[in-house]
Amino acid sequence: MKRSKQINIAIMRKELIVRPLLKPVALAVASITLVACGNEEDVKVASSVDDCVSKTDLTQEQCEVAYQKALEEAARTAPRYNSLSACGIEFGQRYCHQSPDGFFVPYMSGFMVSNAFHHGYVYNPVFYYRNSRSSYHGRVMLSDGTVIGSAGRSSYKVPKSTLSSKPTPTRTVSRGGFGSVASAKSNWGGGKSKSWGG
Amino acid sequence: MFRLPIMERAQWQQRAKEFGFEFHTMYGEKYWDETAYYQFTLEQIEKGIEGPTEDVHQMCLAVVEKVIHDDELMRRFCLPEGQWDFIRQSWLNGDPSLYSRLDFAYSGVGDAKLYENNADTPTSIYETGFWQWLWLQDNVDSGVLSSHSDQFNSLQEKLVNRFKEISILTPNRTLHFACCKGTPEDRGTVQYLEDCAKEAGLKTAFVYMEDIGRDVSGSFTDLSDHIITSMFKLYPWEFMFQEEFSTDLGNNNIRWVEPPWKSILSNKALLPMLWKLFPNHPNLLPAFFEDELHLASDIDSLVKKPIFSREGANISFTGKQKGMAISDGPYGEEGFIYQKTHLLPRFGDNYTLIGSWLVDNQAAGISVREDSGPITQDMSRYLPHIIL
Repeated sequence: MKRSKQINIAIMRKELIVRPLLKPVALAVASITLVACGNEEDVKVASSVDDCVSKTDLTQEQCEVAYQKALEEAARTAPRYNSLSACGIEFGQRYCHQSPDGFFVPYMSGFMVSNAFHHGYVYNPVFYYRNSRSSYHGRVMLSDGTVIGSAGRSSYKVPKSTLSSKPTPTRTVSRGGFGSVASAKSNWGGGKSKSWGG
Repeated sequence: MFRLPIMERAQWQQRAKEFGFEFHTMYGEKYWDETAYYQFTLEQIEKGIEGPTEDVHQMCLAVVEKVIHDDELMRRFCLPEGQWDFIRQSWLNGDPSLYSRLDFAYSGVGDAKLYENNADTPTSIYETGFWQWLWLQDNVDSGVLSSHSDQFNSLQEKLVNRFKEISILTPNRTLHFACCKGTPEDRGTVQYLEDCAKEAGLKTAFVYMEDIGRDVSGSFTDLSDHIITSMFKLYPWEFMFQEEFSTDLGNNNIRWVEPPWKSILSNKALLPMLWKLFPNHPNLLPAFFEDELHLASDIDSLVKKPIFSREGANISFTGKQKGMAISDGPYGEEGFIYQKTHLLPRFGDNYTLIGSWLVDNQAAGISVREDSGPITQDMSRYLPHIIL
């Protein structure tokens, strides 16, 4: 046979991908899980940029970047609730707010900083769990409900899987340094889009 | 090699939508055309195209090896001196190549003749690797084509395997994919390659060329301020070499796909160099630099091609065929090379070009393009093929 024996047709379908960014039903904390023992990594949890500077080896600027990234990550991944009271039961009403997409989400209470440089910096947001009827009351958890330990500890042991390697955040000082030749040449061709391949 | 009419699949446009193939029709003209297909014998494919494709590719690599060590030739290839180290280093490191496409004039009999090598930014890969594969599958499933029909097209399979190899060479990097804004064809091509990389298990991301940023240390960044450490760019190296961020190329730690040494192969100066190193090779056409035209005095018609050009732009004929056809375009300021005129074979009213794909060093399939004129350009129709 001179052709590909098998092509995974399902992954080639594109139409299904065109869907709203958010699932119609709010996610909430689906299931609370305790971290497993074993392949673990030491992390610090910083409650502020200053806290980050004092607790970790990162510089002021690196801590600021980590804080900003964690905020962005929280905006994207924080557990979502349909009502303020639903969010409040788990995280305390005072610590919940409405996100731009209309759901109610807890405020980030801090962010994880990993000492393991080979993983790159990690900026996962963490949330303080306040459901007084739960045995996990007073614990710190990640967006997906993974409990990493009691609040206020100087460091935590977490499985490496929660430190999924993130690219190193940096600050971009300029953009637009590529593309100018195509732009100059695109004036030719009467407004039709041009491929820059061949 | 025959051109045979066939019924279009019922509602194939709907199927195209389902799979996100958006540029099958452009500016009201058919680009994907399944009202006919080309039929080859296995011998035509294997001896006529597959063998010569791998041979010519090896000859092209021999040209790179020669040019890379020769300042005078680097100049002839119009490569900016400031980028020589960057280009050379990528070759000496053995930076891996993903793919290329050799364009041949081939009629089913005689030797396929190399027109050019699209080694840096080849397109029409989605149509080839996936869409024409699906066309054959659908037509065999519905009984329109014989179940013995095959296709020279292991492109997708080989691409996925090649991405795996590339990720083993530089593990744990996110592979960023990039192309220019405002070109659905390029965006679709890059999306396809990203799908193949994902299938191979790589972490991927996308950024437009125009949106690439730079941090204080000279690292390139995407729109999330993540540092780019591995990048596939559907954007010509010779453009990048002229642009503002080119000063950081080679100083930051990026695995480039295609690697910079491909700028020697995607360059039309390759053609006269091939003829110098492998004169009278059956798959080559005589080709000459502009200042060596006296060597071509016994050739009655030549094609004039810009050193840098894409999509069949700025091609003209001299000598006997002068005035026959000419293509417009924004290229040519770096000068031209000349290649002996060898017109494409005609099937009915169509001039037909064979694009022969390589993944790394392996021949991986073909695409067939048709045009009413002798110069194949970006709007030339794409037709599927079978082996029977």
